[in-house]
Amino acid sequence: MFLNAWSIALCILSLLALFLLSMAGRTAYRVLRFWNPSSDKELQIALERETWLASTMIAYGLGFQLISLVVFVLAADNFCQVIAGAMCATGSLMANDFGLPALWIKITGIFLYGFWLVLHKLDVSCETYPLVRLKYWYLLVLLPFLATDVFYQTAYIAGLEPDIITSCCAVVFSGAKNVGSNLFTGIPKTTLLILFYGTAAFLVVFGLAYLRLHTRWMDWIFGIGWGWFFFVSMMAITTVFSSYIYAMPYHKCPFCILKPEYYYYGFLLFGTMMPAVFLGLSCTLASLVKYRGHLEPVVHTFQHRSAKISIILLLIFTVLSSYHFIVYTISGGQV
Amino acid sequence: MLIELEGVTKIYNQDHPNEVRALHDVSFKVATKNMVCLRGASGSGKSTLLAIIGCVFPPSSGRASIAGQQLARLPDRFLTFHRRNFIGFIFQRFNILPALSVLENITLPLLPLGISPRDRKQRARPLMEQLSILHRENFPAGQISGGELQRVAIARALINNPPIILADEPTAHLDTRLSKDFMTIMSGLREAGKTIILASHDPLVSDHESIDNIIDIRDGRIHVP
Repeated sequence: MFLNAWSIALCILSLLALFLLSMAGRTAYRVLRFWNPSSDKELQIALERETWLASTMIAYGLGFQLISLVVFVLAADNFCQVIAGAMCATGSLMANDFGLPALWIKITGIFLYGFWLVLHKLDVSCETYPLVRLKYWYLLVLLPFLATDVFYQTAYIAGLEPDIITSCCAVVFSGAKNVGSNLFTGIPKTTLLILFYGTAAFLVVFGLAYLRLHTRWMDWIFGIGWGWFFFVSMMAITTVFSSYIYAMPYHKCPFCILKPEYYYYGFLLFGTMMPAVFLGLSCTLASLVKYRGHLEPVVHTFQHRSAKISIILLLIFTVLSSYHFIVYTISGGQV
Repeated sequence: MLIELEGVTKIYNQDHPNEVRALHDVSFKVATKNMVCLRGASGSGKSTLLAIIGCVFPPSSGRASIAGQQLARLPDRFLTFHRRNFIGFIFQRFNILPALSVLENITLPLLPLGISPRDRKQRARPLMEQLSILHRENFPAGQISGGELQRVAIARALINNPPIILADEPTAHLDTRLSKDFMTIMSGLREAGKTIILASHDPLVSDHESIDNIIDIRDGRIHVP
């Protein structure tokens, strides 16, 4: 097991989150069993106060988990210094069976944890606590997911052995057909670029229409569009844009761009893409609760603001991700 | 009815050895533009009742509503908004910040509203003039007399023009003349359309001609003679 500042920070963050959410689990049980907003009884009034504390604890716990994705990737990048064969986080994550699943769980978690925070934000924006039951029901779903997240992360850290020889990103994400186990293969570069720019253009145009019209079916198409864009952009960053950032045609990796030698460029890319996708998907999520209680105006404002920010972030992300590729092409390089 | 309490109970330190049942099943109504006195000995539950009406904290059980809405049970951000707009509170010890000037103390409730200093001053001046403290405008509050302090507290309670004024033992630290002055000011506010609830055991307050209703509180219950 690796015991350094990164692994300790990760474990502390996740255990803290698990502790806070478990404590709030008791409130969740009481809310699901006894919540009755029309009652003036002692239990209901006590629950109303209790949910404030519990919701704050959950919000902090989930906030820690959101940060833990960044810490996890940075930790994996740090671990590569002592793992034989690893050159970046890719190698570290593939050093045992728990690394990559832990990463996928954490990426999924970003959205699942974030959605709870969206529900909470909508709930506290209304005088009548319209989403309390839903929020705490969702918390009970999140708890086992969080436990799985913590388990995989701990198992990954505990199972790391410096003497195990692992792969490096040059092999894992290589475009060559006869090399290693490629994670993203099969889609030609031109097709991928058409999909990437096509989806981005669609989301901008559709998003502008969505800001004006805001119909129910548009909520769904907007959400589906963002979900699709997430996968396309992850593939585009990994197999196309990253190699232009590295200025090396065979170096394709979503993790090395987070390193200081590439000016932390990856943080700009993921830091714009992930929030854009999250906010886009949140518009669809919010539409599911739009007609509960008196939430309609609150949800409408939220959707409008989220859609606007997601479009702006998408444009920034598209410019940032295309920058090296366009500069290379303009300066006479072969595509 | 502007204020309605129904079966209000308040228990402090519930389920602890030092549990105190401050109010038991209290119910009453206060109509708009009325002046009501909550009368009772020290420790009878007057201040707790006033704090519940003033949305300082919610009851342990029961319903306390203002204009049909149970404000004290609202989420904090809404509660703050309603409390600021509905209720002016005059505290027993006035709770004036001595380092700030009289004007700054009076305009404190306007700060969260983002009103400019010039507009804050414009809103405060007629009140200060009405309460005869305009000449103390820039004095540090720590350097003015007890009677003036009380008028600063009244002006601060009125600065947002709330329909309800609550005062907790407002004459406890005043001599007879100042207590009478206070009641004269309250009568004027009642005439101006405010609903006023005073918690006091001072006969100068409870026996005043402007009081519309007296509610006797004993050991946390309404006492009907």
